[in-house]
Amino acid sequence: MPEPKSDSLYIAGSVADAVAALADRGSDGAALAGATWAMRAPIRGDRQARSHVAISKIAELRTIEVSDKEVVIGSCVTHAELARRLEPIPELRGLAMAAGSSANPAVRQVATVGGNLCTADFAAADLVPALLCLDAAVEIETSDGSARLAIADFLMRRTSLGSASLVRRIIIPLRPMLSAHARLPLRKAGDYPVAIVSLSIETRRDGTIAAARIGVGSVEAVARRWSRLEEALIGTPRDAILAGEQAQASAGTFTGRDGIDAPSWYRVMVLPTLVRRAFELLDQ
Amino acid sequence: MSICLNVNGEERSFHGAPLTPLLDVLRDEFFLTGAKAVCREGFCGSCTVHVDGLPTLSCLRPVGLLENSAILTIEGLGISGNPSPLQKALEDHDAVQCGMCFPGMVMSLTAFLEQAPDATGADIKHALIGNICRCTGYERIIEAALSLRVPTPSVEGMP
Repeated sequence: MPEPKSDSLYIAGSVADAVAALADRGSDGAALAGATWAMRAPIRGDRQARSHVAISKIAELRTIEVSDKEVVIGSCVTHAELARRLEPIPELRGLAMAAGSSANPAVRQVATVGGNLCTADFAAADLVPALLCLDAAVEIETSDGSARLAIADFLMRRTSLGSASLVRRIIIPLRPMLSAHARLPLRKAGDYPVAIVSLSIETRRDGTIAAARIGVGSVEAVARRWSRLEEALIGTPRDAILAGEQAQASAGTFTGRDGIDAPSWYRVMVLPTLVRRAFELLDQ
Repeated sequence: MSICLNVNGEERSFHGAPLTPLLDVLRDEFFLTGAKAVCREGFCGSCTVHVDGLPTLSCLRPVGLLENSAILTIEGLGISGNPSPLQKALEDHDAVQCGMCFPGMVMSLTAFLEQAPDATGADIKHALIGNICRCTGYERIIEAALSLRVPTPSVEGMP
């Protein structure tokens, strides 16, 4: 089998330690969290770093803090742990669903939130649209200090942040809302989804929608919000069929990506159905 | 890099590149060939072992991150003449065909049934989404797992 090119592994003991180690290594180095993508790199012919800085042993990166106002998730929290800890929080049910259905059970035990956000080539990442629809913020640590970015901004800038930068935590503001996550794999189990819709809905006292945030993943190269549908849903009843019809009217705003799993037109075509399913999940 | 591991209750050490997959350490260094090298991308589950009690895809775990970890492979789970209840159930149900996926199946199911002894067929199917079998169609594997099911006792008068 192809030999791993990396000849060194440094296990960082703190965030500062990790940032310093990454700065030392420059473009030859890379952070290593769950390691699932790094370990696939040889067989896929992907670029491999010469030197890795392991961050999964840093305790503060593995914590989840829940308060009345926000949930703060360390970047090395695994998908499995995230699903387990968020399960009792109804507002974040969508993110719990995303974390609990990504990849397969064994991968979920090691793959991390930060890794899912930072793997820029992975269009089908489940957590990205789920965090987009929650207006999450991403806190990064660099050799120049800390910075907090809105997740959409982070997604645009993640490949140009520099080698000595680390995602430290993800901050989610809590609002009175419902959320859901609908994904479409080719088989029932084990495939990357060809399209993902994540949404969060706030409703008025009369039951109409006050705010809608809809994240779409895997359809295009980078997940993004469905702004036209969000605007169209405001003031309408929270109704799955109506939402699906509204989605049908504005699905053309997406330009699907071609892939070995599905062609571009298919990914766009299934979006209204996924919107309807996500709305149905809100009621379950 | 030198890494100390506990493999099937025995202290072992590996000297080599830290990003060497645990799978290759087990097979090539320790000659524990039960875990299979198939997809090497974490999809098929044939390389599943337990690391510190958790089912783990050994093809995706760099040995450098496993210092002092407790590794359990299929060789440590049941030995000839003394199979585990799950192994015996799979044999009784004539579930095995080529056998390539079965070490991984057994490791995944062993861990799952320990934490969900009352699992239904749907639960078992969901737990096995990371273990691919090309031979059997999964039916007898699921029947064998269900034969070990311990239903949750109902309490009279409880809703």
